[in-house]
Amino acid sequence: MEDSQIIKIENLIKRFPMGKGEFTALNGIGLTFIQGEFTGIVGPSGSGKTTLLNIIGSLDVPSSGSVTVLGRSVGDLGAKEAAKLRKENLGFIFQSYNLFAVHTVYENVEFPLLLLKYSSADRRRMVLDALEWVGLTDKIKSKPPQLSGGECQRVAIARAMVKKPSLVLADEPTANLDADNSHNILKTMEKLNRELKTSFLFATHDDKVISYLRRKIFLIDGRVDKDIVISN
Amino acid sequence: MKLAIKLAFKNLIGAGLRTWLNVIVLSFSFVIIIAARGILVGWDRQAKNDMTDWEIGGGQYWNVHYDPYDAFTLNDAHSPVPEKFISEIEANDMVPVLITQGTIYPEGRMQSILIKGIKPDQTLLELPTHKLDTLVGATPAIIGSNMARTNKLKTGDYVTIRWRDTNGTFDATDICITGIFTTNVPTVDVAQVWIPLDSLQSMLLMPGEATILTYRDREKAREGTADWKVMSFEDLVKDIEAMIKTKSVGQSIFYTILLLLALLAVFDTQVLSIFRRQREIGTYVALGYTRGEVVSLFTVEGAMHAIFAAVAGAIYGIPLLMLLAKKGITLGMSSSDYGFAIADTMYPVYSTGLVIGTTLAVLLATAIVSYWPSRKIAKMNPTEALRGKLQ
Repeated sequence: MEDSQIIKIENLIKRFPMGKGEFTALNGIGLTFIQGEFTGIVGPSGSGKTTLLNIIGSLDVPSSGSVTVLGRSVGDLGAKEAAKLRKENLGFIFQSYNLFAVHTVYENVEFPLLLLKYSSADRRRMVLDALEWVGLTDKIKSKPPQLSGGECQRVAIARAMVKKPSLVLADEPTANLDADNSHNILKTMEKLNRELKTSFLFATHDDKVISYLRRKIFLIDGRVDKDIVISN
Repeated sequence: MKLAIKLAFKNLIGAGLRTWLNVIVLSFSFVIIIAARGILVGWDRQAKNDMTDWEIGGGQYWNVHYDPYDAFTLNDAHSPVPEKFISEIEANDMVPVLITQGTIYPEGRMQSILIKGIKPDQTLLELPTHKLDTLVGATPAIIGSNMARTNKLKTGDYVTIRWRDTNGTFDATDICITGIFTTNVPTVDVAQVWIPLDSLQSMLLMPGEATILTYRDREKAREGTADWKVMSFEDLVKDIEAMIKTKSVGQSIFYTILLLLALLAVFDTQVLSIFRRQREIGTYVALGYTRGEVVSLFTVEGAMHAIFAAVAGAIYGIPLLMLLAKKGITLGMSSSDYGFAIADTMYPVYSTGLVIGTTLAVLLATAIVSYWPSRKIAKMNPTEALRGKLQ
């Protein structure tokens, strides 16, 4: 593995049971990703982009083929090892934010650091830094139901970024946002990508997101159709 | 675990009314179980104290023929008081009682009674036997308030009693009621007339004889003789303990049902949580929890209902239970209706063991019913859970 390579996918096949038969969601995917990419897996609904993201995020396992994330083969990881990989190295951003409604903004962002057993002082510093990145330092005591959709997604970004993971997986992060908020969110993520060298991998079919991507992988019916790298 | 407790606390508080409804129902269980068990403990203590004071002292010697449940044994259940007990009797550390069957004729009616002879100067038992030490125109007698009520007798009344002496000859005399006492121990009250021991001994032609000997010192080692068997304090309270145990079983059924209802509410909440909070469960997994850790979190969350309930129960339960312990619980029935020692007003007793034991039992039961539905999480697909898809 090259030093900068963080994901290596070889002949990935993922099948799901459907009725009496099986549905092939991913069919022979082969890709590599290097550190610091700002990449999107682009395709229509049902093309397999979320499935691919879930496997890379060790939330699911391949039916065959191999997926190596940060040097660890996802298919061979036990539940505890997969949880450790997610806890230490991966950040997730979801379409519907998935924030904890009863916790404040501060507590939501603090959560990954609690799992990593950081000291209270370190947690405070890191949470405030993360909230500053997304411009929400004035909302630390608010709870998600009191925030707008754009603010919620910024909290989700802060939560994903607070531990400075190697890779952030974002599944349709702008799907529930209007155009202004979408651009704000994307600019924030792009800035974090450049400043912190965190890799971002999107699953999206939103043109606004696509316009920000430096690499676009088009998936159709579970196969890679095009892999376009945009030079700066 | 610290994080799970912190999260569970937050989640429960955040759930609002649903949490508090469960907590209130569960806290009722706490308070009622402790109150009910406290009443039994109080009853047990009160019954034993009253029996000690009024009837059994520290224990008794029974004539070997004596059987309190068979009146026919009374004909033979008497023998001279052994010499070795005389000093104890003189020191008022032992009281001989002679018992025979008899009949009383209040207002022309007839009722079977037990006639009991006791020394008027005894101080071992609470019976006001000093009221037998008086000069009236007939044999002085004291009776309990239940006996007085059922036979419409009052102090100063004269009434005829009849008995058979040692030769089987019927005889009769008048007695004068010189005292009426109130007691919680029906076995010294109902259908009983207490007269001076000397009088009964001469009426029965049994000088120096007795049926039972009640002693004061419970700790002293005792041995029986050919005519007398030792009935220890523990032997004598066996019946009341068996009765309380029976009541305890009946009561357990009642509060088990109550607890089950409360636990059902917790179980229901857990099931609902697992269905409604699938996306949250998926998020925990995505952020680095294992599914086992999420199961633990939900189990702690469910079990925490019991901790909240213990606190809520303490807030209103402690003043309520203290009030009950102070004022007591008045029963609508007389002790004689039960046939065993029970006060008209019972004072519950709450021990630390009772409170801690009940709290731990409810906590354990709540943890079990919380864990049960939470196991489903372990089988969940996190990717489906993240999408909030019902599984």
